[in-house]
Amino acid sequence: MTILRRTALAVVLGSTAAIAAGSATAQDAVEFWTMTYGDQLNWKGEVEALIDGFTEETGIEVRHEIVPWGSAFQTYLTVSQGGAAPDCADMYWLHSFSAIGGDQHGPMPLNEYRDEYFPTLEEDFYAGALQDVLWQDDFYGIPWRGDIRAFIYRTDFAEEAGIDGPPQTWDEIVEDAKALTVRDENGNVERWGFAYGTATNVVSWLLPYYWQAGGTMMTDDGQTATIDNEAMRTALTFMRDLMWEHQVVNPDSLEAGYDPQPLFVNGQLAMVGSAEQAWGVELDRDYPQLEGQWAMATSPAGPENSDSFSGAGYFGVLRGSDHVEECVQLIEYMSRDENMLRLAQAAGTVSTKPEVMASEFWSDRPWKIVVGEALQDAHTSQHPAPAWSAIATPEPGGILYDLMYDVIVLQEDMDASIAEAQERMQAELDRS
Amino acid sequence: MNEKNIFCYLMVAPALLVTALLGIYPMLASMVMSFQSYDLLAGQRDTIEWVGFENYRTILADDRFLQTISQTVIFTILAVGIVVSMGLFLAQVVNAKFRGRAVVRTLIFSPWFVPPVVASAIWMWLLQTERSPINAVLRDLGWTSGNIRFLTDPETWGPFSIPMMSVVAVRVWNGLPFVIIFLLAGLQSIPKSLYEAADMDGAGILQKFRHVTLPMLRPVLMVLLALLFMNGFGHFEMNYIMTQGGPRNLTNVLAVWSYQEGFAFFRFDNAAAASGIILAMTSVICAIYLRLQYKDDLR
Repeated sequence: MTILRRTALAVVLGSTAAIAAGSATAQDAVEFWTMTYGDQLNWKGEVEALIDGFTEETGIEVRHEIVPWGSAFQTYLTVSQGGAAPDCADMYWLHSFSAIGGDQHGPMPLNEYRDEYFPTLEEDFYAGALQDVLWQDDFYGIPWRGDIRAFIYRTDFAEEAGIDGPPQTWDEIVEDAKALTVRDENGNVERWGFAYGTATNVVSWLLPYYWQAGGTMMTDDGQTATIDNEAMRTALTFMRDLMWEHQVVNPDSLEAGYDPQPLFVNGQLAMVGSAEQAWGVELDRDYPQLEGQWAMATSPAGPENSDSFSGAGYFGVLRGSDHVEECVQLIEYMSRDENMLRLAQAAGTVSTKPEVMASEFWSDRPWKIVVGEALQDAHTSQHPAPAWSAIATPEPGGILYDLMYDVIVLQEDMDASIAEAQERMQAELDRS
Repeated sequence: MNEKNIFCYLMVAPALLVTALLGIYPMLASMVMSFQSYDLLAGQRDTIEWVGFENYRTILADDRFLQTISQTVIFTILAVGIVVSMGLFLAQVVNAKFRGRAVVRTLIFSPWFVPPVVASAIWMWLLQTERSPINAVLRDLGWTSGNIRFLTDPETWGPFSIPMMSVVAVRVWNGLPFVIIFLLAGLQSIPKSLYEAADMDGAGILQKFRHVTLPMLRPVLMVLLALLFMNGFGHFEMNYIMTQGGPRNLTNVLAVWSYQEGFAFFRFDNAAAASGIILAMTSVICAIYLRLQYKDDLR
């Protein structure tokens, strides 16, 4: 009986010590969150291999956790309001989350570490990508991934229709889309000629056309809305006419559930105006049978330029962390060219460093070369106002969504709709 | 307090604790928030102000919100009315003894095995204008020449629209097994002697249904209707996933509106006020139910 008691005591003490030791190790480790990109297992494996390399080099332990994209927004919204936060993380929408967190929670400025750890920041990164880590003159981290949009089209259908290469201008988009739209004897569309963009965010379809028409959303200080202008009328007229006058765009495009990729793959859609580079990765991986039947191209030019939608994600530190310096070291390690390349390869996203984009990986497929070229026309989707994400929310009730829906789908009075959107947008900017 | 009472309290304590922590507390916190100015983008968390009924006044002055309230009521009445009517009929069918009853029961109950989120995704595919197999079948049969825009047609007939009816149909499909099981339990508790007595009095099927089945099901139906209405007023997932409230706000309901206001526009105060309206609506149903039950108890 005594032996049994001693054994039980030893087991209890041993377990307690092990749990305490484990807990201490866990507390000492840097907590690092990322979303997932591409194949989740591959991504997790690659990030953790990079972390192992970092730990080997510095002796700093890092605990990696995955935040699913489906709950990423709610997670960082909670973090920015004082919820459980990691030490450092893969983040986005810096301006909104910084404003929500104020000086207590959310993203943490890293100005004091900038010169020591990132002395050649401006030379190393695309200027557009850096806009996503700067807010009110503060530096918040390293942009590590880009989301550049390019034109994509079915080359087999273009060839059938006698079209030689992708459209170069808006007028050519109309011309080609008409030639590529196919209807049955009852008038039902069997193949749409054109889609404004991919399913990710409906509002992101408007932005490049507006920029290409010479418009800007707001003043540089983020204080004044500037959408009631000729550029907006030009962009919306172009989009509306594609849907109703030329009838080459699906009228359901702006509704929930619209997904152009299956249509494109099944031959029910010929051209997409603004597709993420991830389409290239996905078509290569999931539809090898379509090899040679599609191609990417840089954005056709609007009246003023060929700007392409570009987003970015960054590695940053969260306020309240006890491991700020360790996190900065981790971010510096991740931002090295060879590691950025590994991240880009695993994620299938473009890199924010020209050096990485010049690597062989980004030139081994024709679409990758186009993506690299599209970066020259990249126009950041980040705007200098915390309310931007609310303004651009792609749901009914969102200011830009409602503007697009009223003008493009419902064909309501354009001037009145734009004036109303301008007023609502100004109210949102004033609110924040 | 005797030992038996203590045991009873101990047994319900965990459930009460969980309900209080995860149900009552968030509800009260949300109600408090609905009387405060709580705008995430305004950077005023340290100086949250009491604004009385200002948030309620703001949302009730919004035409889109008023449209959403009326649609929530219409959605709920339609869904509850149809599901209970069908449930009453099908519960009789699965209660009857006939060859193949097990197969029929399995088929009828199978939608219950599909979580609402998954059901929404499946039906979104089935109802997608160009890829819809339903449209393909209708065209092949020659019943339609063009595609029906089940979830996207913006045409309306008064407060009704095709997208609204489509979402109601999916909600009915998914909720029907629950209603049938509820009613089946009620049917099986009705003494056979009542039907035998009705037979001796020469009652037909409809008369037996009206004078025996319905009165005997009344307590079950009351609970069922109360649950369905309360659940209906707060319904979220199918409307959000299938249409996000569109097209033209035609399928929006209060819970979706509240979610969009909070998580898309960062106005948690307005979102909490919308939740307050939902609470008020469900409270009315609750009060009606309690009153009817009280009257029944007095009989």
